[in-house]
Amino acid sequence: MTGDMKIPRVLVIDDDVDFRASVKSLLESQGYEVREADSAKQGLRELVEQKPDVILLDVMMESDVEGYAVNQAIKYQEEYEKYRNIPIIMVSSIELSPDERFAMASELDMIRPDFYLTKPLDMSKMLELLQRALKR
Amino acid sequence: MRETPEQEMIVVIDDDYAIRLSCQKILTKAGFQVETFEDGSQGLEGVARLKPSLVVVDLKMPGISGMEVIARVHEIVPQAIIVVITGYATIGTAVEAMKVGAYDFLPKPFSPDELRVIVNRGLERRRLALESERSEVERALLKRRFITFVSHQLQTPLVAVHQCLDVLKQLGGAEGTEAKRQEWINRCLSRTEEMLAIIKDWLALAKVEADSLSRRRVSVDLRRVVSDILRAYEEMAGRESITLEARLPEEPCLVKGDRTCMGVLFDNLIVNAIKYNKAGGKVTVSAEEVDGEVVAAVTDTGIGIAEKHRPFLFEEFYRIKDESGKRTTGTGLGLPICKKIVTELGGKIEVESELEAGSTFRVRLPASREQEEADSSGSLE
Repeated sequence: MTGDMKIPRVLVIDDDVDFRASVKSLLESQGYEVREADSAKQGLRELVEQKPDVILLDVMMESDVEGYAVNQAIKYQEEYEKYRNIPIIMVSSIELSPDERFAMASELDMIRPDFYLTKPLDMSKMLELLQRALKR
Repeated sequence: MRETPEQEMIVVIDDDYAIRLSCQKILTKAGFQVETFEDGSQGLEGVARLKPSLVVVDLKMPGISGMEVIARVHEIVPQAIIVVITGYATIGTAVEAMKVGAYDFLPKPFSPDELRVIVNRGLERRRLALESERSEVERALLKRRFITFVSHQLQTPLVAVHQCLDVLKQLGGAEGTEAKRQEWINRCLSRTEEMLAIIKDWLALAKVEADSLSRRRVSVDLRRVVSDILRAYEEMAGRESITLEARLPEEPCLVKGDRTCMGVLFDNLIVNAIKYNKAGGKVTVSAEEVDGEVVAAVTDTGIGIAEKHRPFLFEEFYRIKDESGKRTTGTGLGLPICKKIVTELGGKIEVESELEAGSTFRVRLPASREQEEADSSGSLE
């Protein structure tokens, strides 16, 4: 990152401590600022504090409604209204076809079915998608 | 208990007015909802609209033939039972009708009793078919859930290891990263250990299932099983200053079972009691014979188990998330294994717990009257 370019902020919401730590380490080495949250509740707290530019959201956390809860809160609760434009990238360990991704996105009420990453993360794919999300 | 069933719907299709009327009377009196139609096409419309449990069809009608009606009814409501009325009770036509899907046939003239009996028999058959279909579906769901769970449980640590290796790869051999590299290696090691533990427990569970029928049951003295295990965990308990105490009677505590399974059972319970204890706490294991039962209890002075979790403790992959938000430990299979073993041996396992005070796991097994067999295969592996 050079010049007056702003350091992009990423919020990682995932219930696996090692997964979060690895994403943080990998992205920090690429010049991102990364914050972690291990649940929907903590995620929303960090959202307000960090005001991220993009969110990486595990949609299959152990209590399986957490990912959904984050999206719902941002979308429909008034207190999160100003964060509504932050792009959310869905992360899951399930490999999905474009159709299935679309179905899943609509089931989870996510806006962008193409913002989807599979675990383990492919570094170049993740960076490319982050760039694309940040450009909007 | 079944709830009061809704009135079952029966459709009668016959061109003979007298038959329609008598069927209507008899079956309404028997507690069914009945609709009658005078030809095949009206009848099929009625079937599509009413989705009946049972259809009574005259084989000889003007318009669409009875045979065709039978086939079409099953296209519309596959689970409907069809009873055929035949004017000329030739075995040939009846067999023909049953070939295309009729359940039974009723030759004219028939008595009210004959009609009632055949209808009730048909409906009972339908209920059985529906029930077995339902339990098939439930079994399939359960199986799928189990497989999803297992793959999720194994995939999660595997993904974490992969991620950590990615970080290590990226760090490369850069100077000054030695401590960091060590940290990521340790993360990998602890996650692979987690995976190994899950697989080990999973195999143990499958083994208990597979072996339970073929295994020879012998008299096992629980006192020996318990004291062997307690001795093995003295060091682990000592690290947290936890005291292990055995309260065992003078006389043998014999149960009819299997030495390996008994070892696995108490191993799991005692390890849990140590793992979920507080530093400086205590684990007490007792056993006694009461009224033909051997009652063994493992009590800890740990954090206790909240009431909302207790009903699910023995379910596969149920894990309690640490309130402090730390990683959940354990494989979620230990207690299900215990329950399986105890149940196979005709016993019971139950839990009592008080938050911040501790928990007691109590096992009840039928006592054995035979002497303990002298064998040395007491290994826990």
